[in-house]
Amino acid sequence: MRGKKFTTTEVSEAEIKKLVVERLKTLPSGKQISIGGEGSFTKEELIKRVKLGDKLGKKMIAVEIEFLRALKKGEFFNDQESSYHQT
Amino acid sequence: MTKNLLITRPNYDLPTTYLFSWSKLVIKCAYQKGFRIVDLPNGKSNETDFAGRVNKTDPSFIFFNGHGSKSVVTGHNGEVLVSDKKNLDLLRGRVIFSRSCSSAMKLGPKSISSGAKAFIGYKEPFIFILEPEKSSHPLSDKTAALFLEPSNQVAISLLKGHSSLEASKRAKNAFAKNIKKLLTSESKKEDSATLRYLFWDMKHQVCLGDATVI
Repeated sequence: MRGKKFTTTEVSEAEIKKLVVERLKTLPSGKQISIGGEGSFTKEELIKRVKLGDKLGKKMIAVEIEFLRALKKGEFFNDQESSYHQT
Repeated sequence: MTKNLLITRPNYDLPTTYLFSWSKLVIKCAYQKGFRIVDLPNGKSNETDFAGRVNKTDPSFIFFNGHGSKSVVTGHNGEVLVSDKKNLDLLRGRVIFSRSCSSAMKLGPKSISSGAKAFIGYKEPFIFILEPEKSSHPLSDKTAALFLEPSNQVAISLLKGHSSLEASKRAKNAFAKNIKKLLTSESKKEDSATLRYLFWDMKHQVCLGDATVI
């Protein structure tokens, strides 16, 4: 019996945005996210910036992607104390 | 070298108000450890006072709090204190901890090539979550504590005599401890949503220059 063929496809920018927006929705309401000189934002404001795709929105996407990649690699369950020492 | 700490503490918006308050714990530790402290709070975090006090007191350790960018650290109302083109000589021979966004990207390496002993900072924006209703008492904000206690560990470890690399490691361990706590405990869903930013700050904190300097 022939196995089912799986193909990998590029995830589009729109799909990534959608994923990040969904993840940002899990942020607590009533709290603010301070992002240095950019200011402090509610989750609704961050979602708006991700949808807009401006500099801050792109940074938020980078934060999420980096976190998800670390989760995928299981980095949180490794020896973090030695994994992120960078000089 | 005399044990001198110079600390900048601008205080003009929500993030700087939090850094201003949380830095008090570092000042308290410095007193306990016998450091001579030059505190530049609020409007005293300006270029003139900063340069004048550095030249006069010759601090072994400078702790910047405030906004920044890849090549700049600012004081009160965003006034530039040091950049990759300005006042770099003031950092020569000193240990620097810059709790400001992204300054370890360009200013950090530039300060090392200009003679700073060590530069600990963040290569990306320093992100933290806060509870606005606690903004009049930032030290009681338990959400912000998840971020600011670990970053305080850099300064506190240096004051306790640990090397620059060890101080950076101890802070990263404190971030990691909070991450593990949120991952493994029955924390509220909204608390675990802070993980991504704890990880971000931990990952982008770096120690440049002489890792062994105390």
